[in-house]
Amino acid sequence: MCGTRQSLGSAGVCDTVSLAVGNARVVTMVSPLEPRQGRQDDGRTHARPARPLDAHVLRTLSLDLIGRPPFAVEVEEWSGKPVQAFLDTVLGSQEFWEHWYEEQLYYFLLIDNFRPATDSTRTIPAKLVEGRMSVRDALHRVALSSSFNLRNPGADTFVTVVMEQVVGLTVQKHKAELEIGKRVYDGHNGLFLGSFGENQSDVVRIAIESKAAARAFTAREFVRMTHREAPKKELAAWTRKLHKDPHTFIEVVREWLLSEAYEARLAHPVPLANRLFVRAVFVDLLGRLPEPAEAEPLRNALDGLSDSRPLRSVLVRLLLDSGSVPIPEKNSIRDVTEWVAGLFPRFLGREATPEELKAFVLAFGEPECRPKTILYAILSNAEYHTF
Amino acid sequence: MNPSETSRRTFLKTAAITGGALVGTGLVPGLSPLAFARGPRSPLRDDRKTKHIVLIAFAGGVRTKETFGMPANVPNLTAMADEGVLFPRVRTANLGHFGASMSIFTGISEPRGIRENSRGPDPTLFEYLRKDLGLPQSDVWITTSGGAQQVNYSYGLHADYGPKYGANTLDGDGIFNKEFQEVLEAYGMPKPMGEGEKEILDRLRGSLGAGDEESAREAEALARVEQYILDELTRGTSDITGAGAADAKALRLARNLLSIFKPRVVGVVLQNADIAHGSFNGYMEVIRRNDAAVGELWNAVKDDAELADSTAFIILPEFGRDADLNARRGLDHGDGSDDLNYVSCVAWGPDFKRGAVVRDVVRTIDVTPTICDLLGASARHSRGGRMPGLYA
Repeated sequence: MCGTRQSLGSAGVCDTVSLAVGNARVVTMVSPLEPRQGRQDDGRTHARPARPLDAHVLRTLSLDLIGRPPFAVEVEEWSGKPVQAFLDTVLGSQEFWEHWYEEQLYYFLLIDNFRPATDSTRTIPAKLVEGRMSVRDALHRVALSSSFNLRNPGADTFVTVVMEQVVGLTVQKHKAELEIGKRVYDGHNGLFLGSFGENQSDVVRIAIESKAAARAFTAREFVRMTHREAPKKELAAWTRKLHKDPHTFIEVVREWLLSEAYEARLAHPVPLANRLFVRAVFVDLLGRLPEPAEAEPLRNALDGLSDSRPLRSVLVRLLLDSGSVPIPEKNSIRDVTEWVAGLFPRFLGREATPEELKAFVLAFGEPECRPKTILYAILSNAEYHTF
Repeated sequence: MNPSETSRRTFLKTAAITGGALVGTGLVPGLSPLAFARGPRSPLRDDRKTKHIVLIAFAGGVRTKETFGMPANVPNLTAMADEGVLFPRVRTANLGHFGASMSIFTGISEPRGIRENSRGPDPTLFEYLRKDLGLPQSDVWITTSGGAQQVNYSYGLHADYGPKYGANTLDGDGIFNKEFQEVLEAYGMPKPMGEGEKEILDRLRGSLGAGDEESAREAEALARVEQYILDELTRGTSDITGAGAADAKALRLARNLLSIFKPRVVGVVLQNADIAHGSFNGYMEVIRRNDAAVGELWNAVKDDAELADSTAFIILPEFGRDADLNARRGLDHGDGSDDLNYVSCVAWGPDFKRGAVVRDVVRTIDVTPTICDLLGASARHSRGGRMPGLYA
């Protein structure tokens, strides 16, 4: 697997870590919470590459691209390496496409009982990796799925959702088009969005192939990656490119991630979505991704609160108390300062300030403070819930 | 040390020690008394008896034909109308479930995508009330049944309002479902924390955060909600199953919230009636079940000495459904008929007329300004007006 595009790891890490893809269990031999042993040094002098990956950039990029923070071994592996090399490895990887696919399903609210479960949809990420499918083909497949149909029952709802979600139109401003679309959905001939159609699948095809859909897709993907609106001029250019050849998506995303917009995004943390929080807390505490049977109920529960922090706090405490988190014994931590200092970049993507370090180390010395107390304080803090 | 700080610390400490321990052992029949703790209530209008309001969006698309057109189907709503005011001509906007329900809470009809999952631009009822009346978050709740999307009813993105004036939101089916319960059980419940450790935790958190008074108040509010969730998880709401279970959970939560926190405002958003697209019978069953749950909620209020004479209900769907059955013998919502565009609203409360029927056309967007007026706030950005013929 090392050297392939399936994980962030590379050759030297493979004997210590086995990184599966997507929702499969990830086994890591390096506990994310064990005291740091010091980085292996091969004795060579390495020139510091331009735009290197530090803890913050690595954590942010990982969450944006593959929906999880890096595993401990990946932090070791990638720290100080060029961003470009990281992008070369991650963009277009199986894990990248699986995350992209999950985000599309969430966008269409095809979750829980409405999650597509046929082979033709399950294989979408793999086909994207192999280049046998473009992003447009993938969205087409999703919108043709029985799940999409069930989620959006009836002509009015179905055509409305296609127009709104796929094409980016405000239906109330295009009532005539909606009526035509509903007629086409019901099997009548009609000119829907400027193209001829005569059935429900034509409604989907016409919408997906429209330039407006390419624009809507590009705009929302830009927002998803950079957490800001796309500049109009550039959006038009990216739309043209993606409309002409949707296989260029990775190229376009790479351009976004190396742009000033992404630099600005890195400078301004954004709230961590519930679905990412669930994955993050599992990776950070358990060293593995949650199983779907764990992730979906947890995400749903968190999504059920306008302010999910109280429940997030409950979940952090629950995991810490569960006995499943490899928390070192207090007396096994010989260098407290080093252990505490290592937690900040790991969980918050930054170094501790001298004041924070002092406060934590002092507190650690008190008999009632456990390593768990330190972890709970950090992971229940507002900063952990941004990235 | 000022009194509020003392109170906060005491609350946090004791909640961590007692609440967690009781929940962990499954000994909690109700909430820890500390979870009910709240500061002095904000003054409302002196000339009104109403001090609490329950607004139920009986949503998912419900025609009058199957409610007040069939009184036997909704005995509780009918009884409520007999003791209150019925508006049988309430004009709706066919904006999809999300947009149409949103318009009830904002008083503005604006298109929102059916599957759009983002905040609206306008302030909601909850924001008006919290800002104008100085209500704490614990006084304003909304329980929902439609998952992630409905959390957006809590607050909008208006620059003068926003999250600091939002409602606490609980989605019944999201939290209180078997799957989530199973995950929790797999890891066990959080263990109680000793007093000394809790103090250290507070100190560590303070060293990371801003550490100001506002942060302290927020921490207290969050701790209270955290405790409520922990307790509610042991209460059996997860056991509700069957047709319309999500709606039933939203109404059950509303009932629990009212009896525990006695908040000023509880919004409830239902959704399961939309099963009508594919099943008319299922739709009828949901209406009957929701009417029964509304009845339980109503009875709980009438049986509560503090709430009985000070609580008002306003209940209405976001829109109706088509006049005719579709090919699947279900009911869609898109034909532009009066069955779709007009719904019925019932209002019951100490300030309202009894047994009145107001046949004037009112609008779903009139609800927010009406409630704001009732409690003494101003829905200044709303485009609706006060509902006529309401007051005794």
